[in-house]
Amino acid sequence: MLEERQFCTFLVADLFLGIPVSAVQEVIRYHEMTRVPLADRTITGLINLRGQIVTAVDLRQRLGLEDRAPESLPMNVVIRTDDGAVSLLVDEIGDVLEVEERDFEPPLETLGGKVRELVRGVFKLETGLLLILDEEKAANVSSTQSEAMELVRETI
Amino acid sequence: MHALVIDDSRAVRRILRGFLVDLGYEVVEAGDGEEALRELKLSTTPVDVALVDWNMPKMSGLEFVKAVRANAQWDRLVLMMVTTETEIEKVAAALDAGANEYVMKPFTKDIIREKLELLTSSPV
Amino acid sequence: MTTLIEGCDEIVKDFLVESYENLDQLDQDLVALEQDPGNREILASVFRTIHTIKGTCGFLDFGKLEKVAHVGENLLSKLRDGELELDANRTSALLTMIDAIRSMLSHIEDDGSEGDADYGNLIDLLTNLQQTGSGPEAAGTAPGRAPDRDVEDVAQDAKRSAETAQAGGDGTLGSAETTTTTAQAADTPQDSAKQTKDTVQAADTPQDSAKKTMATAQAAETSGTVLSPAPSPTASSLTESTIRVDVDHLDRLMNLVGELVLARNQILQFTSKEEDAAFVATSQHLNMITTELQEGVMKTRMQPIGNVWNKLPRVVRDLARSCGKDVKIIMEGKETELDKTIIEAIRDPLTHLVRNSVDHGIEIPEERQALGKAHEGTLLLRAFHEGGQVNIEITDDGGGISTEVLKKKALERSIITTEQAARMSERELLNLIFAPGFSTAKKVTKVSGRGVGMDVVRTNIEKIGGSIDLQSKEGSGTTIRIKIPLTLAIIPALIVTDSGDRFAIPQVNLLELVRLEAEQIETSIEDINGSPVYRLRGNLLPLVFLNKELKMQAAESSAAGSSAVSIVVLQADEQQFGLIVDEINDTEEIVVKPLGTQIKDLDTFAGATIMGDGKIALILDVMGLAQRAGIIGELSSHGIGEHKEQASTGSDQRRTLLVFSIGDDRRMAIPLDLVARLEEFPISSVEVAGDREVVQYRGEIMPLVRLSRFFNTNPDETEQLQVVVYSHMSRSIGFVVEEIIDIVEERITVTIDPDEQMGLDGAAVVQEKVTDLLDVDAVVGAAAPEALEPAATAEAEA
Repeated sequence: MLEERQFCTFLVADLFLGIPVSAVQEVIRYHEMTRVPLADRTITGLINLRGQIVTAVDLRQRLGLEDRAPESLPMNVVIRTDDGAVSLLVDEIGDVLEVEERDFEPPLETLGGKVRELVRGVFKLETGLLLILDEEKAANVSSTQSEAMELVRETI
Repeated sequence: MHALVIDDSRAVRRILRGFLVDLGYEVVEAGDGEEALRELKLSTTPVDVALVDWNMPKMSGLEFVKAVRANAQWDRLVLMMVTTETEIEKVAAALDAGANEYVMKPFTKDIIREKLELLTSSPV
Repeated sequence: MTTLIEGCDEIVKDFLVESYENLDQLDQDLVALEQDPGNREILASVFRTIHTIKGTCGFLDFGKLEKVAHVGENLLSKLRDGELELDANRTSALLTMIDAIRSMLSHIEDDGSEGDADYGNLIDLLTNLQQTGSGPEAAGTAPGRAPDRDVEDVAQDAKRSAETAQAGGDGTLGSAETTTTTAQAADTPQDSAKQTKDTVQAADTPQDSAKKTMATAQAAETSGTVLSPAPSPTASSLTESTIRVDVDHLDRLMNLVGELVLARNQILQFTSKEEDAAFVATSQHLNMITTELQEGVMKTRMQPIGNVWNKLPRVVRDLARSCGKDVKIIMEGKETELDKTIIEAIRDPLTHLVRNSVDHGIEIPEERQALGKAHEGTLLLRAFHEGGQVNIEITDDGGGISTEVLKKKALERSIITTEQAARMSERELLNLIFAPGFSTAKKVTKVSGRGVGMDVVRTNIEKIGGSIDLQSKEGSGTTIRIKIPLTLAIIPALIVTDSGDRFAIPQVNLLELVRLEAEQIETSIEDINGSPVYRLRGNLLPLVFLNKELKMQAAESSAAGSSAVSIVVLQADEQQFGLIVDEINDTEEIVVKPLGTQIKDLDTFAGATIMGDGKIALILDVMGLAQRAGIIGELSSHGIGEHKEQASTGSDQRRTLLVFSIGDDRRMAIPLDLVARLEEFPISSVEVAGDREVVQYRGEIMPLVRLSRFFNTNPDETEQLQVVVYSHMSRSIGFVVEEIIDIVEERITVTIDPDEQMGLDGAAVVQEKVTDLLDVDAVVGAAAPEALEPAATAEAEA
């Protein structure tokens, strides 16, 4: 069950996603990033947000979707987590939507792998499906295992 | 009137300061005898009375009294020893060395007023 | 509550603060006294503390506290006057009294009352102990058993009431001081990320934080920075040249200074492109003020390590007693200063290590004597500064650690494999003790078996950028060495560029820089056993390519071996290695910012910083990088490890120099540490006094020495005089130079020409150009001898 009614929505590839407005610190345009060598591939880089260093996690990578076209610049949805601010990179920002609780459903069986893992549920709207992202989970990336994974990928 | 409070305890200095300010004194504090002597030397306005703790680091109350009395320019400085009953017999030595009066902790504002009035022969 | 005075709250607060401070000292004094029972000086100071508490209680109407302090005072006065001798029973009773006083103070702090505990037994005991007229034996022999038991009983009583007091509530000294927690350590890298959270983590109970504030105040007082309550408005305040400051304010200031340093760096970046002389001069000024401000604020936050150590003698004594051991604690370097956030961070690890040494290291007296050791064990704590870091050593002369036992245990617990065990050096085996879940204790005692292992100690030390190392010899003792940075917030770093990205390398790890031109690369980088090395003054330096280690692809194709590269010679642990980067930028003070959890685990990075242009640079973790590259651990077995730099001989030194010219393109340099500041004065501000040129400078008259005249080069006729200010004994003297060229840090070889001109200290090649080294003392002595006389005013102040 979700207590939240208001969701900040955005597009990642062809997915229409939302996270509770209360979790969002701010939404900003594309921001120059400093890459972090050896980091998990979902981490695009670091952003200087008014003197604060914020890690940017690419939701396309995180959700196991295809890469963004190099010429299109992602937007930052900066969320608050227990360990500070994290920026989620998305393709496009949508409106803040207010939804009815009765429209909420658990994740669909049809959702594939990574997406299913990170989605808390679905609102069926007239315009389509709004997937509610578990923003804490989405931001929860660790870089320790990534190298081993990297090696595995290379050798396969 | 100017008073110098010499005590290594900040709390005691604050208590004495409170009394003396109420009695109309301008108060200067020192944490030990050496600092007190420095104050006396540097002070632009003459200090009228010094309240001297008996037991202090660096320079004891007795040593301070001796040092003050050894210098003629401070002849008129009234020295009042602040002590407790544990050391009362030792205070005699300070009186011999030139201290004018003593007062025993704990004391009230009125006791201080009485003693000071007598010593400075002017109502405060 | 009726008291003799008004305005009581403030006074009670003062009373509590100073009593806590004094009691902390007392614990230590009493333990020291037990070693040296006749020391009148310490006895007098102990007496004075209790005496003051008693005296002040009278005013504040704390009768119970007064009574306890009073009997203690009586006992102490007899001890001080030599009528009685201090023995173990009296020490224990006095320590119990201190605990009782603490407990009452803590009650007063909580709710203004002294609490309900009954100290009748303690008062009787203290009274009895001063009536045993025949001296120390009396307490130990015939009637001795009774007081002995008394001591224990009373200690139990006191402990119980102390516990009640602790559980009693969370009252604090004042709301201003409680707020400490919120902003506490906001400047440590680990914490500043958390700052952004809406909910601030309450790290401490309010009570703790109030005590911390007091501890800080105490530290400040010892170092002479902060003091005394605010004077009441009616009174003049000749003595109060110091004030007490809320730690909260200092934390905020420190954060702001961090931001200012960033802004300063940004402005300097603009300045380099700017031609407006006034703007350049102003930003130089800003630069220097910022540096001074930063140093100043840092200083206010420095505390002597003695603040943490003060508690340890008592800890050691109590613990030794409960394990039936005799342990003497020696402390060296108590005055060594550290930033307060670091002091806080090492408090628990240090205590744990010390307890460990007493509990597991030092043997019981019988065992020691059987081994021919002194029955009393020694625990030595040392602290000292070295290379911008603080070293703390904990040495015991106990049983040491058996590597065989360690090895066996590690194998049992599958921490290492048999092959690994076979390959491990003695030192590596010893450091297994820091592996997670490892403990050498034969049995878990109630003392150090608190669920905290050495791995937690190591984690905590490493969290603040420190390292821990253990050396031990079975049978003769153990030394644990901790290295920690002085401060966490702002560090000097070398900025390098590789594959198009900038990285910051903490200067503590930096040894020297070597530049290789494109054509040199092929010839000077050799290959030994498949690893690249560089021959540095006859020693083989293993090389690490930053781009390879970090798996970076060059942003541009510039680094494809066609252009010059630089070798940054670094020290990691005991090992040196060369890090190959595309380009060296410069050195800068950087503000360390923490990395998010997503990348915190990458041990190649220690954090990140924001550069002058607003972009982010990652801070390299040199240890992590060396480990990753296999430089540490593996190489030492290859035998290449033996190229530790010899202590530099007199003429071949690494120095930071200020390089300038003085006319005729003549280059000179002076060690940067002799330079107080760089200033610029318009020629119109120069006055002539006697036969000397002077300027008004910071409220004083500063003589000027024109180096071009001194060395007979063509005069530098400019409107603005470039002046290098040198200070000695609070006096300043200005050397007028033509142009400031650079500040360089180089290993230079000084050659001395026998026919050398007066005023020179030899010459060296600096930045590939011959540069004379100015002999400051000789020049001042010849040109302005009076400038070296100490200033009269300065002396009066000192």
